[in-house]
Amino acid sequence: MDKTELIKLINENLAEEFEVDIETITPEAHLMETLDLDSLDLVDMVVLIEQNFHFTPKAPDFREISTFQDFYDFVESKMNERQ
Amino acid sequence: MTKYALVTGGSRGIGRAICIRLASMGYAVLINFNNSPQEAEETLAAVRNAGADGELIRFDVTDREQAETALNRWAANHPGDYIEALVNNAGIRKDNLMLWMEPHEWDSVINVSLNGFYNITRLLLKNMVVKRFGRIVNIVSLSGIKGMPGQTNYSASKAGVIAGTKALAQEVAKRGVTVNAVAPGFIKSDMTQDMDENELKKTIPCGRFGTPEEVAALVGFLVSKEAGYITGEVISINGGIYT
Repeated sequence: MDKTELIKLINENLAEEFEVDIETITPEAHLMETLDLDSLDLVDMVVLIEQNFHFTPKAPDFREISTFQDFYDFVESKMNERQ
Repeated sequence: MTKYALVTGGSRGIGRAICIRLASMGYAVLINFNNSPQEAEETLAAVRNAGADGELIRFDVTDREQAETALNRWAANHPGDYIEALVNNAGIRKDNLMLWMEPHEWDSVINVSLNGFYNITRLLLKNMVVKRFGRIVNIVSLSGIKGMPGQTNYSASKAGVIAGTKALAQEVAKRGVTVNAVAPGFIKSDMTQDMDENELKKTIPCGRFGTPEEVAALVGFLVSKEAGYITGEVISINGGIYT
């Protein structure tokens, strides 16, 4: 999967899971604010990542993530580690 | 679709009564035990007699690896199923005045009640969250609310679980998972058979010890769908002893 496909898949999954308009998801947008998540909602994010991308993120991983671009890069790097 | 419940320390006393109650509500009951295989078999027979299926699952709640292995094996044998109700009931008493309390008396009691709550709950919680339905009931004690002399270890372990109950309840409330604690007072069981019932019942407004079945009925209600708006609570069942 190339990065464009990965981003498309991530956006589709996030929009469906967190019930937001996919148009609001842009690389520069703030992840937590756009998806209206608080720290307690991260459990849903963990499950989404496990089910779709087959790794389990840890709490400190999210401290490094601000924008959707950060999130795309994070998922890509973890998936590359698995290969 | 079969509904599954796990009761830790389900072989005897209050745990057995809870297994039977949940079976009567239609749950297939996983009866956890560690040291009492014969009693666990008797509980299984009683569960089946109550009209539901059940199975024995042996592990020590203080042994994280052993518990995880046993529950992973169960999950592998039940694809698509999940345990929607967990009753953290396993507990032991090792009473002593603090002055003489040995480290093993402190550690073992804390390990079973408090660490057992952590060890088992964390394994089952994610599926409850994903499925947007779960029930966790922690069996605590009057001792964990008011403190009992001679039970510093037991009181501390149960008070720890009470605080954990309240915190976890808030973490998962939005996802249809409730977390509550039931605090029995003096209940007729193996755990209280060394107590002077005639003397102690004078201190109980109801004038008697409670029964495991009375505790189980409360647990059954908290597990039911109707109790979905009760979470983070500690409900006493103690014959009117003021707490």
